[in-house]
Amino acid sequence: MDNILEINEVSKHFTGHTALDNVSLSIPRGSVYGLLGPNGAGKTTLIRIINHITAPDSGTVTLNSHILTADDVKTIGYLPEERGLYKKMTVGDQALFFARLKGLSKKEAEKALHRWFEKLEIDSWWNRKVEELSKGMAQKVQFVLTVLHEPELLIFDEPFSGFDPINADILKREILELRDKGATVIFSTHNMGSVEELCDNMTLINQSRNVLTGNVAELRRRFSKNQFKLTYLGSQALPEDITQNMLESCSPVESDSNGYNNVIFNLKDSTDIRTLIARLNENVEIRGFNEILPSINDIFIQVVKDTKID
Amino acid sequence: MSRINNLRIIIAREWKQRVKRKSFIITTLIMPIVMVGLMVLPVLITALAAPDNQQYALIDQSGRISETLDNTPLITYVRYDGDTDYTTLANDEQFEGVLVIGPDIIQNPDDVRLYTRESASSSAVTQITAQLKNSIEAERLKSYDIENLGAILNQIEADVNVSTVRFDAAQEKETSLMMSALVGIAFSFLLYMLIMLYGNMVMTSIIEEKTNRVLELVVSSVRPFELMVGKIVGIGLVALTQVAIWVALIGAFVAWALPAVIAHFAGAQGAEAMDSLFQLGQPSYIITLMLYMMVFLIGGYLFYAAIYAVVGSSVDNIQDAGQLASVAVVPIILSFILAPTVVAEPNSTVALWASFIPITSPIVMMARLPFAIPVWQTLISMGILYISVIIMIWLAAKIYRVGIFMYGKKPSFKELVRWARYK
Repeated sequence: MDNILEINEVSKHFTGHTALDNVSLSIPRGSVYGLLGPNGAGKTTLIRIINHITAPDSGTVTLNSHILTADDVKTIGYLPEERGLYKKMTVGDQALFFARLKGLSKKEAEKALHRWFEKLEIDSWWNRKVEELSKGMAQKVQFVLTVLHEPELLIFDEPFSGFDPINADILKREILELRDKGATVIFSTHNMGSVEELCDNMTLINQSRNVLTGNVAELRRRFSKNQFKLTYLGSQALPEDITQNMLESCSPVESDSNGYNNVIFNLKDSTDIRTLIARLNENVEIRGFNEILPSINDIFIQVVKDTKID
Repeated sequence: MSRINNLRIIIAREWKQRVKRKSFIITTLIMPIVMVGLMVLPVLITALAAPDNQQYALIDQSGRISETLDNTPLITYVRYDGDTDYTTLANDEQFEGVLVIGPDIIQNPDDVRLYTRESASSSAVTQITAQLKNSIEAERLKSYDIENLGAILNQIEADVNVSTVRFDAAQEKETSLMMSALVGIAFSFLLYMLIMLYGNMVMTSIIEEKTNRVLELVVSSVRPFELMVGKIVGIGLVALTQVAIWVALIGAFVAWALPAVIAHFAGAQGAEAMDSLFQLGQPSYIITLMLYMMVFLIGGYLFYAAIYAVVGSSVDNIQDAGQLASVAVVPIILSFILAPTVVAEPNSTVALWASFIPITSPIVMMARLPFAIPVWQTLISMGILYISVIIMIWLAAKIYRVGIFMYGKKPSFKELVRWARYK
């Protein structure tokens, strides 16, 4: 697969601690990539290295098959976690300043800015000073500044922190739209819900190391514990020979508001799912049979725990 | 190419944002008014305080002094016979007073009275006393009956006026030491003020960007080095803009308005004072001097602005900055304190060394330059200063790059050194 960005054995040390320890990862073009990890794991350092803000002590970063240079920041759009604007400048002046730093001419910048501002309904604020803006509005301005120069690679560090649900939704929609247009998106977050929802691939960084990397769906399958949920009609408990011989464990039956019974069980390794379903079908009226995949949050917690034990 | 472009955009922003501010416009316009005021006010005050010409009735009972007293701009004498009664004249409104010179004035100089209705003007009394003294002395000399007295006196009289001439192989320039000292002190004060004011501005502006967290957004587009240099240059241009406006306003005033004002109020004496303004040297010399000063002004600002940038980047609030900033402030104040000494002894050992050490050289050289010190000294000082500027900015950039992402704890000096070593 075509990778837009390859990080190869990157390490970065500061006095007293190691921020990144031999981290490698590849980001496929046109995907949404989650960069997960607890606070202080080294995500921001990695992002700063990708943005050419700091240099790695060792290792290489390759963007579009060449070693990253300072000029490459023009093809990257970065929304930092800690983000601010010049308070005393007007929104328009400020937006033009940042846009021109990204290499846009004044004319191009003005056109693109007005288009985005209108889309996000903040165009009427063009001549207002930033200090008059609400936090949500300032965030919208920052978002526009990140995507304005149509970068191939977008990096969002905790993009949803500080957004109200409505604006967060707008943001999500815009990000996915950008991906559909061909941009690659890196998401750095410790908000697991948004990863399941948005990301195709992910890397989990813990204690400066890449501890888990892969396709989100595959990872969830890989970490699955053979757990299933059965929904059926009728009040009878499952026959004993099934629970005894085919299931590792089984939760008590619970009936929900629709009058269905629900039960969650783990399969024994030897159990064949088709046989199980056939047996169940003889006994109860099945309304649903679903595998329960672990959430990214579960995986995250498990992996973080496991790596701590090492 | 894009590097230069980024730098230009940053410089433009720093400059535009500050020059637009009301506080900048106000200080820029008020300063020259204050300075012009300081120049003109003394002249105006003396001119306005000078009393009008006053008429005095003069009764000379000795008959020997009256003819020797000349009218002055202040006093006009109206002569009366020796036997006139002073009481009627004293009540005459047209006279400020009646001067009665006694018959025995030559032998007894106390034999003179001034009758006035109100208390006598002290400047008039001083003038009258001086005139009488001269007249009486002249009369006494005459009584010795010396031949060719006038000629002898003329020969004796010596009018001393030392002109200091600085010897220069190329051309002789007549200068006033006083003027050199004045220019030296004035310019070292100007640089002192600019460094304090605009150096601090560099520092607070960096701290502001840090606390605002706008830095993170900026450094994703430009290298921290470009941002720092852009800021230092941009703010430096604000300072230059201000100085240029001051020079233009004051220059225009000195060239057109001041001579007229002085001539109007102070007459010929004022015009002489004006000439002394140009005693610094010939115009070509003044231009060279100003160019040299400009070079040191810019070098001094850059050197200290880099130090202030280090301070600004390594802390995240103004309170913490104070202590670190004193590292920069102490040498600035020290060199400013040195300035008067340097002006008094521009070629002393202290002055020489202080002009080679970059932390003192800019301000000290401001004080020394008007004294036309040897060119090699100026060039060496300039060379050392500019090499130090390059080293300082390079070092500052290394610390700045790390410091801007450090929040919380104020770093120790040791940590700053460590930051400078990061890759």
